[in-house]
Amino acid sequence: MRKLLGMAVLLAGAAIATQAYAAGDKIREITLMTRPQAAQPQEFQFVQLIAQEWRKLGLDVKIDVMPWEQMADLVWYNRDKWDTTGWQMVGRPERSDPDELIYNLFHSSTAPKGYNFIGYSNPELDATVEAQRVETDPDKRQELLYKAQSILAEDQPNLMLVHPKSTFAFDKNVWDPATAVNQGGIGIRNTWTFIQMEPLGEQKDIILNSSDNIQGINPLWISGGTDSWITELIWDRLLRIGPDGLPQPWAAESFEWLDDKTIKLTLRDGMMWHDGKPVTVDDVKFSFEAAMGDEAPMYKPFVGNIETIETDGNTITFKLKNATAAFLTASLAKLNIIPKHVWEPVLTDLATKEDNAEDYQEPAPIGSGPFKFASWTTNEEIVLEANKDHFAPPKAERWILRIVPNTEAAIGMLRSGEINFLADFSGDPKILLDLMQQDGDLEVVSTVDMGFRYVAFNHRRPPFNDPEFRKALSYAINRDLIVGAAFRGFAVKSNSVISPALGFWHNDAVNSFDTGSDVAKSILENAGYEIKGGALHYPDGMTETLAE
Amino acid sequence: MLWAVATILFLMFRLMPSNPLAAYIDPTFTEEQQQALMAKFGLDRPLWEQYFIYLKNLLQGELGDSFFYRQPVGERVLELLPNTLILTFSSLIIAYAFGIVVGAWLAWKRDTIAERAAIPLVLTTRAMPEFWLGMLLLAVFSFTLGWFPAGGTRSPGSEYDGYLALYTSADFLSHLVLPALTLAIYSQGLPLLLMRSNMLEVMNEDFVTMARIKGLSNWTVVVRHAARNALLPVMTSFAIAVGYQIQGNVVVETVFSWPGLGRELVNAVSASDYPLAQGAFLMIAIVVVLMNLLADLLYSLLDPRVSHA
Repeated sequence: MRKLLGMAVLLAGAAIATQAYAAGDKIREITLMTRPQAAQPQEFQFVQLIAQEWRKLGLDVKIDVMPWEQMADLVWYNRDKWDTTGWQMVGRPERSDPDELIYNLFHSSTAPKGYNFIGYSNPELDATVEAQRVETDPDKRQELLYKAQSILAEDQPNLMLVHPKSTFAFDKNVWDPATAVNQGGIGIRNTWTFIQMEPLGEQKDIILNSSDNIQGINPLWISGGTDSWITELIWDRLLRIGPDGLPQPWAAESFEWLDDKTIKLTLRDGMMWHDGKPVTVDDVKFSFEAAMGDEAPMYKPFVGNIETIETDGNTITFKLKNATAAFLTASLAKLNIIPKHVWEPVLTDLATKEDNAEDYQEPAPIGSGPFKFASWTTNEEIVLEANKDHFAPPKAERWILRIVPNTEAAIGMLRSGEINFLADFSGDPKILLDLMQQDGDLEVVSTVDMGFRYVAFNHRRPPFNDPEFRKALSYAINRDLIVGAAFRGFAVKSNSVISPALGFWHNDAVNSFDTGSDVAKSILENAGYEIKGGALHYPDGMTETLAE
Repeated sequence: MLWAVATILFLMFRLMPSNPLAAYIDPTFTEEQQQALMAKFGLDRPLWEQYFIYLKNLLQGELGDSFFYRQPVGERVLELLPNTLILTFSSLIIAYAFGIVVGAWLAWKRDTIAERAAIPLVLTTRAMPEFWLGMLLLAVFSFTLGWFPAGGTRSPGSEYDGYLALYTSADFLSHLVLPALTLAIYSQGLPLLLMRSNMLEVMNEDFVTMARIKGLSNWTVVVRHAARNALLPVMTSFAIAVGYQIQGNVVVETVFSWPGLGRELVNAVSASDYPLAQGAFLMIAIVVVLMNLLADLLYSLLDPRVSHA
């Protein structure tokens, strides 16, 4: 492949040498990938709209519809074999720190195998995201992140579209609407809501739905998305991401940076495991060391920066290899604190086997969190009971998760009372709002997500290596139209990977730019591209190197 | 027989195009971590070696670990099988009891208004898509009238000591009504039409004419002589229907959130979870083989000629 490219460049050079004036080649047919309408109606819709706009610029656009497995295989493992694709990043509590997205998606070091699958490379951006990573002063870090967002807005490595809104609903005759907590970028389906939501009548069980089966309930395995709702309730962490998106003390009652590589935390008094034994700093140390070992590979990346852990009385001190601003969010608020007396024998046993901690399912998981494990019926339901001895005792009696693969039935169940909290809804949010109008019992809450939807450009394949070309393609798209037509209003337009939900870090200045075919065409003309006979051509002298 | 099924299953899933672990390996894993996972599930070995390991484990009753759940397949499948069996049998028993009685009755009422009205009705209900029928029953009996719950096998948070306590509880039965009814309506067409056409054929046979000549009552002729003989092919179709139904349950299991084997099987196939899909299919194959055996035994009971031959 590389050889071929080299040949092409040589030939192109020869062509320029022999011919004083050579018009650029016609740009080849561009493919734009999307998942099927049935699986991803919104993506399918916005891809159609975008292709339509690109065709107006004289581009020949082919839409390739394929299932997720096939698309992921191309994008991740065949990085030079695609042009453009619809894509998404989902919101997760640990993405409340902007580092994870802005660094992993755009730093050139992650281009060969990591999240920078588009192959973007800009030394200035590399330097900026490296600097924010080690800047522990929030204001200075904000300035660096603003700068990174401006660089990205200028380069348009991707065509950013929208931050969708996540929509959940509950029965407001059962739960006091004033006590549901709306977590920035996440929505009302979160640990804070489950702890603080107050029952109004006889029904004191939170009964919620999930369309996916539970893979496992395991503090050392990051398994399915729904599973994480459960692990967050059964196990405590030293810090928790607050409703404002910032980490706050949880199992640690306080923390203090001794210098930019040393942090000292004080463990809260009187915490108990669900089996009645006390939680100690030894347990905390053990939990982090378990992740640093080889038995919990998914947590290993989050503790790689820890050099030593020391305990003294009820304090615990982490010494880091490098200064990291995201340590609070990405490590201390991420790792589950597990009981040493339960896991030490298990891990010792696993060390002699091929299996690791991900293969071990506790019959009755033991944590110290606000809810205790009660029962689990395969593919049907999980029952947790409130831990009234916890320092943040839930107002509800039980938390019951029902597996409901049928979305329409889930809405019916919400209205009939079989569930009282709609925690997983993949349908059209408009339906929920209409229902709320009809049925006075429902409270529907939509929240701007920290995740986003976009079209990725493959920088490895010209003409997508040209920032002006990418900019033209991006500016051709009217985001308001996408919000209305593809997302039915349940999204906000976006030009930054840091969502407005993360108010402190989001740089609002990048959001205003003119869009439309005329804007796009003038950018293309200024960069030397030509529309001839209705087809877009490269600037003078440039040849198509990828024509098949 | 089961060996053939097991071998076909093994090859079938290996021929599927996608890499089974692509779905579970987090792309952020390092190269070594990915290799370690491949090795753990034996996917780095040549195909023939995988096959012999698979057969050896199978002989020891070992179905392997699910890629997705990381837990033994056997336990999982055995946990879900009872739910599927009870749904299948209760719906088929309703469908066959109804089909046999009504089919015999319609044969008796040949060329009457009742027959002319009933046959199109049966064909219409038979042709209704299961999910549509299920959603219709849900909308009417659950969401509008509120008579039956909409999903699962039990009320949220209820606990039972074992399957027997669960299956005999009023709670369970009220959850069973709608899915069983949906499947019963969907499957009553075959036994009904089969019974009717068999009856029509048998009624013309000499021994029936003989019985009439003997002066036996119409009831005795139809029920004791004709129906008993017409029943044989219907019983055979029951055994086949069980096997067909267990796999076909997936639609109803999804509509009614029923934790059964059909739903699990479809999830496993779409996620390339070979061990789980193989285990589930194998379990279904065993049930089908057992049902065929049972049908043969029933045959000799209903028709003594079979065992004499």
